[in-house]
Amino acid sequence: MSNIDRRTLVRGSLAAMMAGAASSRAALAQSAEPILLGVSGPLTGPNAQYGAQWKQGFDLALDEIHAAGGINGRKLAYQFEDSQSDPRQSVAIAQKFVSDPRIVMELGDFSSPASMAASPIYQRGGLVQFGFTNSHPDFTKGGDFMWSTSVSQADEQPLLASYAVRRLGLKKLAVLHLNTDWGRTSRDHFVKAAKEYGAEIAVTEGYIAEERDFRSTLVRVRDASPDGLILISYYSDGALIARQARQVGLKQTICAASSVYSPKFLELGGEAVEQVHLGTRYFPEDPRPEVKKFIAGFKAKYNGQEPDAFNAYSYDAMNMAAAVVKIGGTDRRAIRDAFAKVKDVSSVIYGQATFDVESRRVKGAMNAELVVRKGQFTLWDGKPT
Amino acid sequence: MSSWLDYTINGLIVGNVYALVAVGLALIFGVSRLINFAQGSIYLVGAYIGWVAVVRLHTPLPLTIIVVAAAAAMVGLIIERFGLRPLQNSVRIAPLLATIGISFVLDQLVMLTFSPNPRALPSQLPDVRFQLGGGTIGPLDLLIAGVGLTSALLLFVFLRYTKLGWAVRATAQDRDAAMQMGVDVNRVNQAVFGIAAALGGVSGMLVGMYYNQIDTAMSLQATLKGVVAEVVGGAGNVPGAVIGSLLLGLVESYGVAVFGTSYRNLFAFLLLVVVLVLRPSGLFASARQAPPEPLTGTFIAPSRPVRIPRWALLVAAAAFAVLPFFPVSSYVLQTLINAWLLGMLALSLTLVAGTMGQVSLGHAALLAIGAYTSALLSLTLAVPVGLAVIGGGLMSAALGTLLISPSFRLRGHYVSIATLAIGEIVSLVILNWESVTRGPIGISGIPPLSLFGYDLISPFSVYWFSFAVMLVLALLQGRLLGSHLGRSFRAIRDDDIAARAYGLSLNRYKSLAFIFGGFAAGVSGGIAAHLYSYINHETFNTQQSILALTVVILGGLGNVVGAIVGSVALVGLPELFRIAAEYRILIYGIVLLLLVRFRPQGLLGTI
Repeated sequence: MSNIDRRTLVRGSLAAMMAGAASSRAALAQSAEPILLGVSGPLTGPNAQYGAQWKQGFDLALDEIHAAGGINGRKLAYQFEDSQSDPRQSVAIAQKFVSDPRIVMELGDFSSPASMAASPIYQRGGLVQFGFTNSHPDFTKGGDFMWSTSVSQADEQPLLASYAVRRLGLKKLAVLHLNTDWGRTSRDHFVKAAKEYGAEIAVTEGYIAEERDFRSTLVRVRDASPDGLILISYYSDGALIARQARQVGLKQTICAASSVYSPKFLELGGEAVEQVHLGTRYFPEDPRPEVKKFIAGFKAKYNGQEPDAFNAYSYDAMNMAAAVVKIGGTDRRAIRDAFAKVKDVSSVIYGQATFDVESRRVKGAMNAELVVRKGQFTLWDGKPT
Repeated sequence: MSSWLDYTINGLIVGNVYALVAVGLALIFGVSRLINFAQGSIYLVGAYIGWVAVVRLHTPLPLTIIVVAAAAAMVGLIIERFGLRPLQNSVRIAPLLATIGISFVLDQLVMLTFSPNPRALPSQLPDVRFQLGGGTIGPLDLLIAGVGLTSALLLFVFLRYTKLGWAVRATAQDRDAAMQMGVDVNRVNQAVFGIAAALGGVSGMLVGMYYNQIDTAMSLQATLKGVVAEVVGGAGNVPGAVIGSLLLGLVESYGVAVFGTSYRNLFAFLLLVVVLVLRPSGLFASARQAPPEPLTGTFIAPSRPVRIPRWALLVAAAAFAVLPFFPVSSYVLQTLINAWLLGMLALSLTLVAGTMGQVSLGHAALLAIGAYTSALLSLTLAVPVGLAVIGGGLMSAALGTLLISPSFRLRGHYVSIATLAIGEIVSLVILNWESVTRGPIGISGIPPLSLFGYDLISPFSVYWFSFAVMLVLALLQGRLLGSHLGRSFRAIRDDDIAARAYGLSLNRYKSLAFIFGGFAAGVSGGIAAHLYSYINHETFNTQQSILALTVVILGGLGNVVGAIVGSVALVGLPELFRIAAEYRILIYGIVLLLLVRFRPQGLLGTI
């Protein structure tokens, strides 16, 4: 577990050396070393689970990239540094990556405080910081070396609002949201869109990430008598809220943000998440070829495990990194410029991803309306629940 | 009206859950006067053993409970035998630190064994719900209440009517006297740790089943809430812990009812501070009970500090000052910048905790106050960054001293708990006071450090700047310790009654220490804000407070040079262990334990 990254590195360089030996001496000099990406993210500490999910997505993408011949014949590898999502450590890692000439670009960090504290160092050091889970509206404003494929909440939340209000016909909503920068931004975009679509917001409640008990919150929700509950949550807290809502006898329709899309949501929520609606970027029976390839590859590599949203983000991110490096080569500035040049990179989240050069983000995330039926995520058939 | 009934019921249900941890904590505190920060980790271990039993071995519930209780008791016995017993005769603070180290180690072991992903722990009880008020309760609620109350009752009977129970109480009241009367104190300790750990393990499992979810983050939260409940009830008082837990649950629930969900923990910690200020030994401490801490300063044992010759200090300072001229990487410089920033915080804490004897567990709040003040001054009022950082220091000194002043009458562990609560309160106020602090969105685009119009952005200039600031603060603090002020501080720490008899005003001197300490911490926070360019309520968290305390104890309480050495060591060690990836925090925990074991007075000794 601990040194997948280094093992990948060693394996990568060995394979590259063999490939080089097979061709010519000149090629050997060029392709002996893999092209190295730096990853700053949590492997220990309270967010460790997300770092572990990143690795799964990265490794799958790397397998596919290498099977397809690598980057112009060279291998791609990453060096994962554990930041614990702590800004003090992410800034040290940033200096480490910036001063290491082998690193051509950086991916991460996970939380906004850790990522954005490191941004000035990457910007001044001229190394791309590619944040693929950084939805904070100010992340890419850190400078022209900050790029993000994270779905902007300004894009995602209107889709969820449309699902809840226009499609499910909910008129009076209670919004429960994680009280973080992500949850807060999402809530604001959701509320704005839902009001535009004609719904009334009965109550909004922000809770902290460590919260386990939502019974009293749900009494507040009940007293506001909404006809639908909106969860702007991650899968673990989303499952807790759904369970407790059903336990205290709330029978309203529940509609959740795409971040709950994970097999863990079903496992942790059990019966209670039955009939929960959610918008997602992809789903198991998705006919899109890139999604089919991703899900099949993931299950084959990880003993039948279903991938979730964070696996998909990191898989997409590594593919994007490969596409960028293919154009930009190993020069750090050329890589930054390559972000503006890549077009229509195959992506699980976007279908085809192209950066908007102004905002340095990608627009137009795919959208699918799912519902949990018989313990499975299935495409909503339009039938009221 | 019916809603209030529901809020009350919900409060009691949650209080019920807190009680399970609080009872274990109370038991251990009752005997060894120790707040066991590893109790939450035992709770975590219990939850995962329960998962193995239920999901892998398919044991029926009674057997699951027995397995978990036995395994957790084993863990408790091992902790007592190898983690705490060797520290019996060392400084009072050493076991406290050891439990923090043990909790790191246990949490990491669980995380490495089971992966950090949350897991479902299915309940083994039939899923029937009983209508109660507007909501329902299930059999698990009743089981948890049953376990909580029965264990409290059994413990009460055990302590009051059995021979071993008498021995436990005798040991609690006067360890030496008990030993003279032939009580095998070690056996008593062992029994208590075994019982408390078994209880902790079972409670972790039950709570895991209750939420159908276990993950490695549950440990710290359980400890925090358990400590609050225990202290509210009266530390060391088992029935008090149960009532304290229920009260805590109620206050949280009513807090949510009146102000909304994001204020929930604010009320929990406010309750704690109010109780501590009004009834320092908790709501249910009897008047006859011996004072919770010895009156004279045995909390911090005097030791002979290591004398470092002046020339050696000069050489070291000069070496660090010229370091950037040598070919060192920016990474090394950045790591040392982190060490200097932590060093300023440690200077502040070593003065307050070491010299003054007020062991603070909420010191990160001072960083946060300094950081927000400096960031907002420079962003909204366009104050030059150099002045803004000083403003941050002043604000931190003023506000920090004001906030802490109600707890000036507390002693020993109670100061630590009160400061822990005040630290959490500051962080929650930052989260909720959106008009000023921008809430969870945080403050972005904070300008970089600058001095007299020159931006300090290269690693070299930030390095020199932070090193110089830390050096100036350290020299000032060194002067302070040598003056009559420093002697008065130490006199108060060592014997506050004698100090008062001698005519020293305790509150005034404590305020002075917090003003100076608050300034140093605030400046550190201010510099950090400009260095990071983005801060939010999570940037300066409880882990920072615990890290600072570890630094101070590692360096030697009250020891200025020790605080700096400790900072370099504790920033540097995890970076050195980087190669060990997921194992590094585990290694860090073990190193910490070894240090506490073999050098409890710190590397350079207490001054």
